[in-house]
Amino acid sequence: MSDAELLHKLMARCVLRDERAFATLYRHTSAHLFKVARRMLRRDDLAEEVLQECFVKIWNHVDDYAVARSTPMTWMMAIVRNGAVDCLRRRRPEYGQEDFDLFLESIPDDSPAVEERLDKRQEVNLLSACLDQLTPSQRQVVTLAYWYGLSHEELSAHLGEPLGTVKSWVRRGLNRLSQCMQATGR
Amino acid sequence: MKYQGEALRDALAAEYALGTLRGPARRRFESLLKYDPKLQRVASQWETRLAPLNHDVDPVQPPESVWREIKRRIEARSRAPALTTRWDSLGFWRIASFAGAAATIVLAAMLALLVPSDRSQEMMVVVMVDDYARPAMTVSWPTEGHGDKELRVRLLVHAEVSAGSAWELWMLPRDDGKPISLGLLTSHEMQVVNVPARLVGAVNAAWGLAMSAEPMNGSPVGVPTGRILYKGPCTML
Repeated sequence: MSDAELLHKLMARCVLRDERAFATLYRHTSAHLFKVARRMLRRDDLAEEVLQECFVKIWNHVDDYAVARSTPMTWMMAIVRNGAVDCLRRRRPEYGQEDFDLFLESIPDDSPAVEERLDKRQEVNLLSACLDQLTPSQRQVVTLAYWYGLSHEELSAHLGEPLGTVKSWVRRGLNRLSQCMQATGR
Repeated sequence: MKYQGEALRDALAAEYALGTLRGPARRRFESLLKYDPKLQRVASQWETRLAPLNHDVDPVQPPESVWREIKRRIEARSRAPALTTRWDSLGFWRIASFAGAAATIVLAAMLALLVPSDRSQEMMVVVMVDDYARPAMTVSWPTEGHGDKELRVRLLVHAEVSAGSAWELWMLPRDDGKPISLGLLTSHEMQVVNVPARLVGAVNAAWGLAMSAEPMNGSPVGVPTGRILYKGPCTML
């Protein structure tokens, strides 16, 4: 059974309120989701809080999952990423400017080498090929925003570029990504 | 209208999935998502497109305390005896909108038969479906005029109201507002529901209708408390 099939089955059992299936679902997915929340939030305590909130939400809304739209992992990932973005919005003032500057400095400066950081599965290859079609600036803002949860303003501060320029890189980058992926049927 | 342009919808969905859509714009987008299955698909597509970006680092095991707390919370919830309503659940809206969208397509031809043949006025038609997206009931009314209105209700399936309970019809507003009761229904095949003038504007602007099983005299708390039997979105014909 593939990962996705296993997760589908577990989720179907969660719809029937099977708490053991939910525990298995947690064991299979939490480490992957936790690392994503941690990278966006930069603090273990906040990432743990978001992970907890999101799994309670997943349990309560599992009957909301529509098989045809995305894989279970993508669905759960979207819940965790949205939870992290909400948390960033609420908690950012707590970080203090200094912490945040330190964090920004810790991000690699040059455009991340996407191919090197991603493994070699088919869908990964496709995304990475499409990211290659972006200009380096476009690729940089898209990946920084996704990986580190940076807002337009934070991207602008980090890169030392005007807000309008950064916004337009993001918009054009996503647009080009969309065209490239549509061309391959995604 | 602002959100109708396909390109704009795609751009917003992309920035939503990327995480750069923030603040009030993000809230507004999330409200729209609840009611718009097409937009949900666009957003899911973006989430799927970007998801491979998560494959780059090794998983990190969260501390065991996280699971203990999750377990405590879901167990506490499953024991809670409170009178629950389904209206705080995003899930209901999504399921309702999906089932409704499917039914709208399937039933386009059927509607012509159900709607009165007088096409001189615009009609609002709601095809309400059961949990399996099977059409169970239609409700239609002319949208013109501001006085009291009669909603024509037609049951497409044979069903009985269980003893000691009642069927209640609800109007589902477009925003985050609570459903508004339109009154009780019987199991007669054809019936009419009178809507007072003060509610006509809201009914014409409603997202859809739903019918729930309630105690004898209807919901005691003003929002649905029982199972949602049928639901569907409003379509202008």
